Amino acid sequence: MISFAYKYTILVTGERHVAIWLNVNIHSGIPIYIQIVEQVQHALDVGVLQPGDYLPPVRELASELTIAPNTIVKAYNELQHMGLIESRPGRGTIVTAQANALRHEKRVEALYERLHAVVHDAANMGIDGQEFLAAVQREIGSAFDKRRELT
Amino acid sequence: MNKVAILVDHLTVNYGSQCVLRDLSLEVPVGTIFGFLGRNGAGKTTTIKTLLGIRRPTAGKVEVLGYDVVRQHIEVCSHVGYVSETHNLYDYLNITQMCAFCRDTSRRWKQNIVDTYLDLFALPRTQKIKQFSKGMKTQLALSLAMGSEPDILILDEPTADLDPIARELFLHTLIGDIAAAGKTVFFSSHILSDIEAVADHVAVIEGGRIVLSAELDELRETHKILRLTYPEGLPPAELEYLQSLPHVSQAKQEGQVVQLHTTGMVNELVSLIKERLYPPHDIETLHTDLGSVLLEYIKGIRNDH
Repeated sequence: MISFAYKYTILVTGERHVAIWLNVNIHSGIPIYIQIVEQVQHALDVGVLQPGDYLPPVRELASELTIAPNTIVKAYNELQHMGLIESRPGRGTIVTAQANALRHEKRVEALYERLHAVVHDAANMGIDGQEFLAAVQREIGSAFDKRRELT
Repeated sequence: MNKVAILVDHLTVNYGSQCVLRDLSLEVPVGTIFGFLGRNGAGKTTTIKTLLGIRRPTAGKVEVLGYDVVRQHIEVCSHVGYVSETHNLYDYLNITQMCAFCRDTSRRWKQNIVDTYLDLFALPRTQKIKQFSKGMKTQLALSLAMGSEPDILILDEPTADLDPIARELFLHTLIGDIAAAGKTVFFSSHILSDIEAVADHVAVIEGGRIVLSAELDELRETHKILRLTYPEGLPPAELEYLQSLPHVSQAKQEGQVVQLHTTGMVNELVSLIKERLYPPHDIETLHTDLGSVLLEYIKGIRNDH
């Protein structure tokens, strides 16, 4: 099992440097460009990458991760297609202003998909609808109450 | 960036009455790291020699950067750097003398580029090449090949003689310096892990024919295993049906569990299987190990063409 883990420093607006860990595993069976796309998305979700941050140039990242440059290009194209990054001629690749909003939208979508799956699993397992609803309401009670206490 | 660096079109090469390459077609896009995989004697070196115009096609044509390798041999040579399996080096020379020889026989020669690589590999300049190990000769051949600033680098089994550390340095150089500078790299190998580690495209040659040519990420995306779990053992007719589905290369059954090896259309297959009269109660999609997929192509178990 070989995995390449390299610390890459991205220059962020101002003088701050942020380290982002890109772990690419060539043996996982997951397309490498998808691994990069997912890790950049994750970095956005957890706030490691912010709108206005620069992504490393293709050549540098290829050299850094020992991955074919075309694969990085493919990952960047995909992220650009999603509206998360854009390339500015002569300046590099930058995280877009709407990246966070787009990610939030996607995460809400994914959340409802999970809900759909959980409800269907419950039905398939023969759990009573009212009983399930009561359980959901209990969860809502505790989670939202906790949040209210915090704010 | 969709330009073609190397185009092989219905190439056939005979050695006397023996057919070594049969109707071989291949496209290498500019800027790719193209791994050319095959067993000993599959036709890798013959293909490479034909790309360089060293061997004439019996039928079909080969173009490198748009130049016909037979009619425009000189143009091809001035754009291609070649590291052969046997290293065409003069044993009785040292590196300094070898560089002088190459400079005199090349159209372009950048000694500073060669020096960078010689330093990187820490090769002794004044020692006779005769005393070099096989690995050092490979490193020297690569350094010299870079001297004429080629757009395409063709390497025949470059890592075969390298120890693990030299191999890692070599592959890292290939990607980090050469491919990152936008050059096309075409390298043959019988080492699966080399291809997996650095290539973005792969072609597999077996018995003088191309049996696979694809992007590595595409293979990772399309070659999956579907693990189907049935409530009870399934009727033999159902297993036959699963085996007959498009994009299913293999179906294995063990009790209630059936494993389908797919070559694409995974989502379509899943919805087809869900609608069966005997649907599985659980379908899991697993990633396959690329190495074992490639191995099946090399062995000739699979054939896409």
